[in-house]
Amino acid sequence: MTDYHLVIDGATTPETWSYIDDDAPLNDAPIISLGRLKDQADALRARGGKLGVVLQADDPDKTRGKTSMGEDVHELAPYLDMLSLVSIAFPIYRNGRGYSAARVLRQELNFTGELRASGDVLYDQWAMMNRCGINAFELAGDVSLETFKTALGELSGAYQPAADQQRGALWARGK
Amino acid sequence: MYRYDEFDHKLVADRVDQFRGQVERRVSGALTEDQFKPLRLMNGVYLQLHAYMLRVAIPYGTLRSEQMRMLAHIARKYDRGYGHFTTRQNIQYNWPALDQIPDLLDELASVEMHAIQTSGNCIRNVTSDQYAGAINDEIEDPRIISEIIRQWSTFHPEFTYLPRKFKIAVTGHVNDRAAIKLHDIGIVVKQNDAGEVGYEVHVGGGQGRTPFVAKKMNAFVPKAKLLAYLEAVMRVYNMLGRRDNSYKARIKILVHETGEDEMRRLVEAEFAKIDASQMLTVPQEEIDRISAYFAPPAFETLPADSDGFTKAQTADADFARFVRANVVAHKQAGYAIVNISLKPIGGVPGDATDAQMDVIADLAEHYSLDEVRVTHEQNLVLPHVQLDDLKTVYDVLAANQLATANLGLISDQIACPGLDYCNLANARSIPLAQEISERFADLDRQYDIGELKIKISGCINACGHHHVGHIGILGVDKKGTEFYQISLGGAADENAAIGQITGRAFTEEDIVDAIETVVTTYTDLRTDGERFIDTYNRVGMEPFKERLYD
Repeated sequence: MTDYHLVIDGATTPETWSYIDDDAPLNDAPIISLGRLKDQADALRARGGKLGVVLQADDPDKTRGKTSMGEDVHELAPYLDMLSLVSIAFPIYRNGRGYSAARVLRQELNFTGELRASGDVLYDQWAMMNRCGINAFELAGDVSLETFKTALGELSGAYQPAADQQRGALWARGK
Repeated sequence: MYRYDEFDHKLVADRVDQFRGQVERRVSGALTEDQFKPLRLMNGVYLQLHAYMLRVAIPYGTLRSEQMRMLAHIARKYDRGYGHFTTRQNIQYNWPALDQIPDLLDELASVEMHAIQTSGNCIRNVTSDQYAGAINDEIEDPRIISEIIRQWSTFHPEFTYLPRKFKIAVTGHVNDRAAIKLHDIGIVVKQNDAGEVGYEVHVGGGQGRTPFVAKKMNAFVPKAKLLAYLEAVMRVYNMLGRRDNSYKARIKILVHETGEDEMRRLVEAEFAKIDASQMLTVPQEEIDRISAYFAPPAFETLPADSDGFTKAQTADADFARFVRANVVAHKQAGYAIVNISLKPIGGVPGDATDAQMDVIADLAEHYSLDEVRVTHEQNLVLPHVQLDDLKTVYDVLAANQLATANLGLISDQIACPGLDYCNLANARSIPLAQEISERFADLDRQYDIGELKIKISGCINACGHHHVGHIGILGVDKKGTEFYQISLGGAADENAAIGQITGRAFTEEDIVDAIETVVTTYTDLRTDGERFIDTYNRVGMEPFKERLYD
């Protein structure tokens, strides 16, 4: 059981994946850490099958020193062919690194798999996450699909292009 | 001036509805104060010492008369009859009730105004030169690119939860009146050898507890590519900026810790990728559409001189002093730029009453081609006044306590709200500004002292810009007592510099005397025509230190 419910592409969807600790055995649809992905890349490639990774936005062990800026999305580049899911962690809603990570994955690295927001994922962030290319949301248990859809539609347009279909007013006017 | 189209109107209306929903969820308890905080901040609502405070955006400091009239109406209806113009060309209301703010925002929206992104860790309201479109020798009206930046940065999905707030300022003139080098990004309009207009981009300036002058990151970004360049800077910052310590989270710290050259390399690499996608290259038709809104207004063809104006100065010495201090040459013959000081002797810097705002709106409508500007030094400007009308305008200003002839002089101070309003402050700022202004009230003495910028902050967050005051004053708290530290030699113009601290701080009783000592040291040491800042740069700190501490 999870403590969230999953909405993918605007529809409530059963969870088929699970987050797997670094020292635990893999199952059919595991979401693993970036560290494990890099350490075991050859074996994981040979294994085949579904694989997901979670990208952390901060660094709880402070191994990166005082900057504690979290994991670099560009490190996923060599492994994207093996990945059908990337879960971007939002440890607290104020930490917005993941918005950039999402756009880099979609628009620079051309990742087409499932892109998830996990962690502190709140009402007023969903629409922005969606515009950055996130298509799957781990929502708190009491959030209805109707509420989610309302949140996504609160702003009727956009001034700037991002990772969705909107062109942005500066580009769309006069077209 | 820019006018909203249907798209702009709809999006602002959507935003008011959205915020109304957020306020309802907060009132019902569905949102905790902690969850509500970033939402109210993104809509300009702060929780201050006594009440909520609302900050209304005045993009690049430009207002039409109907907008100024609305600001007066809001001061009357939702506040206690006044508003406070800020160092970011915005206006703050100190006493609105939270549950009335959505209605207030509805009224603002009716005149194309809002409070979007005036606070929170997002790209804030863009600021610019208050003389834009009126001053001679401008390369291009900086409000054109400011408006393009305003649109691009509004509700930007990637940059709404940045490590910290982010401020962008633009100048189109070699004389920088927008303090662009003290901003996260400062932009100078430039022309290259081929005659094309582009932008010099400075990154990583800022004040606060660790002040830095911005570094020049790129000498010339072509006009259509500026948004791609800005998006590159923002992405590098959002990915690499520190989030572990809010005092080290501004981009100035990233630039400092990463190093200017490495930062430039990172930005250029990101810029190359974004530019290659072409997605942020602004179409020429859209640049033209927005530029047209800032075409020069319908100036009349007038002689360069006005007999009436000259005679009025001879007849009225107060008017002559006002002209000398507050009136600036206009690019169009027969017109002038009129500064309205919001620093009356003994007053609160930047405050205006609802009645004063209405008077200024009327003057703008009848005598300034419908425009008013707000300056980062917390004054107002009527940008396009005919010389023949100057005396009439002056008489109305004088009748409404708006004709203080002290622009750029020692009593034209910047001060933060300080301990009287702010829950961060260590010390009071406004009463000190009032005391200094009263000490130097004699205008003839002020003219003799000449250009001298005093800037006062009630705490190290530096909202009163003390780091860049010719004389900066910082309130510090020592064991529960208010002390004031003096710094000298700061500047916010094209020669931006961070001031140096003189030494130990002064008590509340001694600080005004200490300022007087600094001033007399200057007047004793200056050569003919030398401004305070020039004398300081020539003689250095030592003579001032000797007089202050011996």
